[in-house]
Amino acid sequence: MRTAPALAAVLGLVAAAATATAIVSARTEPAPRGLDPLAVPSHVGPTFQSIGPLAFSPEGVLYAADKQAAAIHALDLTAAASPAPGTKGIDGIDQQIAAMLGTAASDLAITDLAVHPKTRNTYLSVMRGQGPSAQSALLRVDGAGTLSLVALDAVTFTSVSLPNPPAVDGRNRTSAITDMAYMNGRLFVAGLSNEEFSSKLWSVPYPFRQMDTGTSVEIFHGNHGRLETNSPVYSFVPTTVDGKPSLIAGYTCTPLVRFPVDDLRPGAKVMGKTIAELGNRSRPIDMILYRKDGREFLLIANTTRGVMKLDTSTFDGAGAITAPVTAETGGVPFEPVPSMTGVEQLDLLDATHTVVLSRTGAALNLQAVILP
Amino acid sequence: MALPFRSIAVPAGPRAALVALIVPILAMGCARAATGVAVTLVPADADAPARVRVTGLSPDGLRALPDQAADPAAWEAVLRVTVAGTPDGQPAVAGRYAVDGAALEFRPAFPFDPGRAYDARVDPAALPGASAGASAGGAIVRAALSLPAPAATPATTVTRVYPSGDEWPENLLRLYVEFSGPMSRAGGFDHVRLLDEDGRAVVDPFLPLDVDLWNSDYTRFTLFLDPGRVKTGILPNEQMGRPLQAGRTYTIEVATSWPDALGRPLAAPYRRTVRVVAADDQPVTPADWRIEPPAAGTRDALVVRFPAALDHGLLQRAVAVERAGAADRLPGTIAIDPGEAVWRFIPDAPWTASAYDLVVYAILEDPSGNRVGRKFEVDRFDEVDRAPTPERTTLAFRVSPPA
Repeated sequence: MRTAPALAAVLGLVAAAATATAIVSARTEPAPRGLDPLAVPSHVGPTFQSIGPLAFSPEGVLYAADKQAAAIHALDLTAAASPAPGTKGIDGIDQQIAAMLGTAASDLAITDLAVHPKTRNTYLSVMRGQGPSAQSALLRVDGAGTLSLVALDAVTFTSVSLPNPPAVDGRNRTSAITDMAYMNGRLFVAGLSNEEFSSKLWSVPYPFRQMDTGTSVEIFHGNHGRLETNSPVYSFVPTTVDGKPSLIAGYTCTPLVRFPVDDLRPGAKVMGKTIAELGNRSRPIDMILYRKDGREFLLIANTTRGVMKLDTSTFDGAGAITAPVTAETGGVPFEPVPSMTGVEQLDLLDATHTVVLSRTGAALNLQAVILP
Repeated sequence: MALPFRSIAVPAGPRAALVALIVPILAMGCARAATGVAVTLVPADADAPARVRVTGLSPDGLRALPDQAADPAAWEAVLRVTVAGTPDGQPAVAGRYAVDGAALEFRPAFPFDPGRAYDARVDPAALPGASAGASAGGAIVRAALSLPAPAATPATTVTRVYPSGDEWPENLLRLYVEFSGPMSRAGGFDHVRLLDEDGRAVVDPFLPLDVDLWNSDYTRFTLFLDPGRVKTGILPNEQMGRPLQAGRTYTIEVATSWPDALGRPLAAPYRRTVRVVAADDQPVTPADWRIEPPAAGTRDALVVRFPAALDHGLLQRAVAVERAGAADRLPGTIAIDPGEAVWRFIPDAPWTASAYDLVVYAILEDPSGNRVGRKFEVDRFDEVDRAPTPERTTLAFRVSPPA
């Protein structure tokens, strides 16, 4: 997941050894929603059939996707805040999560990681168990390195349903939501299904409103001269390119494609501009934007090609890739980050750090890493 | 009734004294220490999932425990439940405590796993008002708890792989592997192989997706062949070629190593040999379909024949029947013949002599990803193609009285 970079204070990255509390208790009242007659009413205690991916708004609303229910819940975590801001790393975090959830690490899937933009605590979405009986959990790591299970039954939330394709009876289709990001009052959602391969991007205004089921556009990446291809978007970030709000999207195999947000109109087919080819048999896992030395960078974690760093100023005026790329990679330049290996999840922690879930041998570790 | 388990009671005190003073006492299927503290694993019932129940504690001490949300550690000091073997310093199982008179119950946040071993540690001396090692019940009680393990005999099998026909197009995009029962979360990449005529495995045929492409009951998994290799003219295709080559035969093999929802291997491997034929690079064209209307007054199947196989998953929801002029789908049952080239619809109520529409949604694809009116691989779309795809097309047919 990713959020736009924001100001960060010095964070609580020093603390005692990891400890654990049983449950974060959060007793909240429904948030006032003004006088909007179409405001979606808020409730307490969301139920998830599945959880992940996650994304935060700049104000700290956590969007948690439930792909089995084809819904997104917006969670108010205000009352679940930890007294210890920041995130302290935990080695073997999968073992700790398994112990807390009463199972084995092999029966867990950590589906996403997201950093709260204000508290800088890290939230992890986890599926516990196997098959249709697997259950959803949301956990938090704070600046003291304390792992806590968020008591969802006390969290205030609003929900919105993904638009169903026509004639869906729900028997077989699965929507794998691959990524979400908030930008200028809208939540953007990318996904693919097990039955329809073509890529859809969907957006809905937040706060969620009744009667507004969001807009869906069909997107393609144009590359290699004559071909446009449909393929799932796996990760994207909102940013500004050539002075226009844009999405930078990473596809499998691994074109990097730019879509101006203004082109994403309901029902439209939109062809993006391929600005880089980052290598085949790989896909992006997560992307974050950050500033360093007065410049903005895009950091991309990939499944098989490691972590890459791109200077986003090169995106302005970048030409579209319109001829077959004969080398492994092409387009705007990138710089490999060999110091970051085994990255499975990534998010921006603060102005100088990223938080990563990375695997070293059998160990899955949560670490705060200095931004390259 | 309580479940059997073993337990030991260990008085608090200097470690050197512990071993000599271990007093295992079993009574009524629960662990009972000399002080009268008993630990029971209460099986799931209509009220709650399985939980740990401790009796014999001081009711005054239980009443004096602080608010558990504010001070969970105080409760965990009295009763701590862990996964067996959890190292020191690792979390206890998360859950909530409830006091019922002289009994303390621990309800885990997630149900205990059948067959998994858990430990309970009860320290009566940690109750408010008790002094360590005092007569209030200073003995620490430890109990090993577990629910019965599920049957370990493999039982799940692959029931079918789609496309189910004997011939696959060279540009096949998608396979469905269907199982007789629910499977684990594990994807198929480590368990499914394509073998050529000589038994050699095709290298990297599938897209290494780690997103979960199971259906909701985990009985059908979708495998995408690597579209970078399937699509012509892009680098992976030019470097590695298509994973399937027309004119050759391949065997798809599903290994028993793919674990089911209970962690068991499959009961048997799956193997099927197919011929690969020329690529199908034409859009799906409903106008080419043949409709065989049933007779009015019957519940005979409406039969629709396609010139080539269509996607099995989408055929179950992207094709429907409506009475002409009505917006609702006609209720009924869809059946798809082996080979996915014949679609049958049996209405819940008999057909009437009137006009009907076969509705085809634009999401319908063939096994190569070609959609209604749009092939999978296309040139850049021109201005005409920029319009949104019509969501549906209709084919009219009429049901007449029997001749």
